[in-house]
Amino acid sequence: MNISVKGTEEYGNQSYADLFRRILVDLGLANRVEEARIVILPEKPLFLISVRTRKARTTVKLDDIASVEEKGDNTYLNITNESYAPVLLANLWKRFGRERIEQLSRLEVLCHGIKPDLLKAIELDPGQELKKELLDALWRLMPEGFKVHHTLSSETVMTIAATEHVMTDEMILMAKQMQGDMETSTITEEESMPEDEESEEEDG
Amino acid sequence: MYEVLMFDGGVYRINELYELVEDIGGFVIQKTQLQVAITVTIAIPSEDRPIIESKTKELGGKLVEVPLAGTEIAVVAPTLGRHHMPHPVCDIAEHLRRYGAITVVMGLARGKGRETAQITADEMAFIEEYDAAIFVLGNFADCIMKEKVRLFEDIEVPVIVVCGPNISSLPNCEAVVCGVGRKAERMRHADEIAKLEETALAVEAAIFKRRNIIDEDPLCVHPAEVKQRVDELESVRQSLRPSPVVLHLDGLRVKVPYDQCKDMLRDIDIFGRKLGDLTTIAPSRLGGSTMIRILTTAQLQTRDNAQSSS
Repeated sequence: MNISVKGTEEYGNQSYADLFRRILVDLGLANRVEEARIVILPEKPLFLISVRTRKARTTVKLDDIASVEEKGDNTYLNITNESYAPVLLANLWKRFGRERIEQLSRLEVLCHGIKPDLLKAIELDPGQELKKELLDALWRLMPEGFKVHHTLSSETVMTIAATEHVMTDEMILMAKQMQGDMETSTITEEESMPEDEESEEEDG
Repeated sequence: MYEVLMFDGGVYRINELYELVEDIGGFVIQKTQLQVAITVTIAIPSEDRPIIESKTKELGGKLVEVPLAGTEIAVVAPTLGRHHMPHPVCDIAEHLRRYGAITVVMGLARGKGRETAQITADEMAFIEEYDAAIFVLGNFADCIMKEKVRLFEDIEVPVIVVCGPNISSLPNCEAVVCGVGRKAERMRHADEIAKLEETALAVEAAIFKRRNIIDEDPLCVHPAEVKQRVDELESVRQSLRPSPVVLHLDGLRVKVPYDQCKDMLRDIDIFGRKLGDLTTIAPSRLGGSTMIRILTTAQLQTRDNAQSSS
């Protein structure tokens, strides 16, 4: 994992590199992140971070990770691929509510009043989970008071620019350029074009 | 002159130590018992230290210097968010306890950000109830020197700033400890422990300076003497809060509600006078507590003169 920090203050640069490394280790993401570039300009103020992750596992159907068995009105699931168990449970709880999903043991789940066909249609996307976890890591790292964000994200690269008051065009341009640079290095490795999605949020 | 020390040992025959401390005219400031282990902070006359040392040896304990005993210190973070807590704020607070201080961790309501960081008058008044305040700030000199200095510019108790970048000095603070900054893990490496030590020494120096200022016009009664009398109150005995009576350099915090206990506190007899005559008793901003500030000799004389002439 390569973390590079550019900024006007040497101490801050070094400490943020260490801090990010520590946060990734804490969240178990150290081997999922390939590269991170951070720009910190406290006098503007601007905090810009771009992270490139390794490609997540492809989408899987519930059928591939668990055996599905109809038992009267209910459906019994036996999870065969343990690594998907937490994601699957979270997904089922979110979809059907906790009162209908009963976890009998670590890998056995009884779904009350749910037909197997409905369950078999469920697809799990580990990439989405990775993005969520990465976002958590970035939230932990970013200065707390920098509430105005501009986020750029593609399949493997996520870039966030954060500032305190007004997000200027110059800052957005810097973010786009950094996102482009990170994606270019992905293209040379994977020879594929990631799809772009852009969003901006402002709170506080 | 009283000397504050901490006995670290077992509960076996501990009553003998309490009796000895009382016999030589000293006070027990705080007792912390963990199963059969106990630490007792005591204030004793300096000249009687060898007697306590020999008793400690007899009981199989050890005597530790606690330069910050009898003080209550606030460790202030810009917010209570996970960016600042638990590390390094709680590490600093915990380390100061080893020096005998009672420490309180607090986060400002609007302390986050650079230009938007604020401190309210209420928060300042709250911090001023303590003997000293440690402000734990971040990693960027530009932010600290231009903006964060506003947070403590009007605070009247000694302020020590702990931050990341190397800053030689800051206005309105007693000392700056650099090389800490934001942390995502416990400060347990040798260089980090050295920084905690440096912080404790900076606090110790600030407290020593404040003690010297107080000694120029000494308090009319020692806070430990007041504590001994306050401890006997029924409402204090029944208080379940940790350390119901906390010593300060110039008074004490009693963790009983002001409205219910003010008269009882005022009527306490101290060397033939009422506590209300020797101190100012006011409600604390910490809920359900009362602040007792002891008058200095000169203040007491002025008050006595004013009362006798009227």
